[in-house]
Amino acid sequence: MTMERNVTQIALFTALIAALGLIPQLTLAFGVPITAQSLGVMLCGTVLGARRGALAVLLFVGLVAIGLPLLSGGRGGLGQFVVPTSGFLIGFPVAAFVTGYAMERLGKFAVVWAAGIAAILGGVVVLYVFGIAGLAIALDRPVGQAALLVTAFIPGDIIKAVLAALITAALYRARPNSVPSRR
Amino acid sequence: MANPVKLLALDAVGLRIDGRDILRGISFATDARRIAVLGRNGSGKTTLARVIAGLQTPSEGAVQVAGVDVTRDRRGALGAVGILFQNPDHQIIFPTVGEELAFGLKQMGLSKRAVVERVSETLSRFGKAAWHDAAIHQLSQGQRQLVCLMAILAMAPEVIILDEPFAGLDIPTAMHLTRVLDSTDAALVHITHDPRTVLDYDHALWIEGGAIEVQGPAAQVGKTFEDAMRQLGARDDLTDLAG
Amino acid sequence: MISLTSPVKTRAHGWSAGGKLAALCLASVVLFAAPYLWFQVIAALSVLILYALPGGIFLRYGLRRIWPLWPFVVLVLIWHVATGVTEAGVVIALRMLSAVALANLVTMTTKLDAMMAVVHRLLGPFSRFGLNIRAIELAAAMVIRFTPILSQKGAALALAWRARSRRRASWRVIVPFMVLALDDADHVAEALRARGGFELDKDL
Repeated sequence: MTMERNVTQIALFTALIAALGLIPQLTLAFGVPITAQSLGVMLCGTVLGARRGALAVLLFVGLVAIGLPLLSGGRGGLGQFVVPTSGFLIGFPVAAFVTGYAMERLGKFAVVWAAGIAAILGGVVVLYVFGIAGLAIALDRPVGQAALLVTAFIPGDIIKAVLAALITAALYRARPNSVPSRR
Repeated sequence: MANPVKLLALDAVGLRIDGRDILRGISFATDARRIAVLGRNGSGKTTLARVIAGLQTPSEGAVQVAGVDVTRDRRGALGAVGILFQNPDHQIIFPTVGEELAFGLKQMGLSKRAVVERVSETLSRFGKAAWHDAAIHQLSQGQRQLVCLMAILAMAPEVIILDEPFAGLDIPTAMHLTRVLDSTDAALVHITHDPRTVLDYDHALWIEGGAIEVQGPAAQVGKTFEDAMRQLGARDDLTDLAG
Repeated sequence: MISLTSPVKTRAHGWSAGGKLAALCLASVVLFAAPYLWFQVIAALSVLILYALPGGIFLRYGLRRIWPLWPFVVLVLIWHVATGVTEAGVVIALRMLSAVALANLVTMTTKLDAMMAVVHRLLGPFSRFGLNIRAIELAAAMVIRFTPILSQKGAALALAWRARSRRRASWRVIVPFMVLALDDADHVAEALRARGGFELDKDL
């Protein structure tokens, strides 16, 4: 894998996270609309693996910081790092890294299972640890109460983890050579 | 000269990927300024273009463009050969026209001042000085193709490879780009499936199954190629699966 | 791509980006260190005045950007009033609003390339530890270039889906979308190599 290919894959996946945030109408089977941005974060991990996946998401977060409106709804800028939900944004790169790391470690499982477990570990568990910690700090409340605030969103994110697993598996079937986390 | 350096010299070039021969025994040496590479979809002509541009290392044989071993000497290759891809969106890396043109020049090791001068000089040569800060995504497909071409011409390579650059462009845009290309000093290697666009070229290669089927004067090779294609076209041609 | 820089030119547009960022850091630290109601009220009013100085359009735009915080403000107030610590609740809500508004203010008055220049300076020392800053800058440029392309392609895929389906495009459309992104990455990597790529970095 050349350096050029590494860099372009990272950049294209960063753009992919942004583009997923721009598509608002992703309707799930039950008619629940979701923003696909955290799905993008999970896919960076399951497809690119720990290192490149985390770098792609880190680049995304960095570009948001310097003022690009890449977050869903056209949000961006430094203010996003001090809002009460900023824990999620700050946790994005770690979530991608853990997802990718788990994906690489689960090499003997079928892709769909490995990706599903990895996405739930990184994209849900780790991401919510960061998100809840951020809320608890910003609102000056105990962690338990902050966690209550976001429980309503957890089922949606578990669905996204399942989608990330199905998408990664479908991608692996279509292009086995295009899933660097499996090589 | 005892050992004249040909503009383009390929010696027994072969390429094998995953056990399949993509290119076989391609040899030619020419000083022609206008070279056409004809072939059908999947004949290997695009791969040949990438080999000549030094982007794909052949499994065997040697490639020299203007005396430069383009696969090994990448720095030398920048001044020897440029390649215009079919889809400008696969080529343009930067969000604005000025940055895109500056990139290749910086890569060649030019000083900051020289880069700025070369960029504005290139833009004004095409009457597009106003494009410097224009956002790429607001340009039309033809305009973006012109940006790609200007980015290559700014680097002034000896040879420019064109990989079906007019596919998908309307006739006036294609004619405009053709005029631009005709006016350059660089030699052209034009990869195409349409022999009519290269009738006035000097030399032509017909690639079939990864090897040279015929080579010679463009008018003659183009005619042979077109006749063969028409014969094939009269039959059901979508039956065979590749591979 | 549109950035979040305000089209209304303010005097702060001309100030050095590094200075504004340093001031923002300092102001945020002070905001979070001061638990006094009077202090937070004065701070919030000062921020409001800063927003009002460039005129009505700028003020409205700025307020609209912190509007999404209202659920949190309501939540904090209800919570703290219910637990009998109203003053602490007001302090937290004001602090949140001031901090976000100040950060937004820096983003609104600083152009993207000025921010990039600061990032470049900040990353500079790390190049000694093998950080390839040029690769980062190149990648950033590519993101700005390819985000609109990818969203256009995504929209085109969704259309192609709808043309042959009674239902709206589902998540399945993301698979070809990613294939496109990976293919584009390969093509662009090649275009990068065609113009020297990163191999030349070694002897530069």
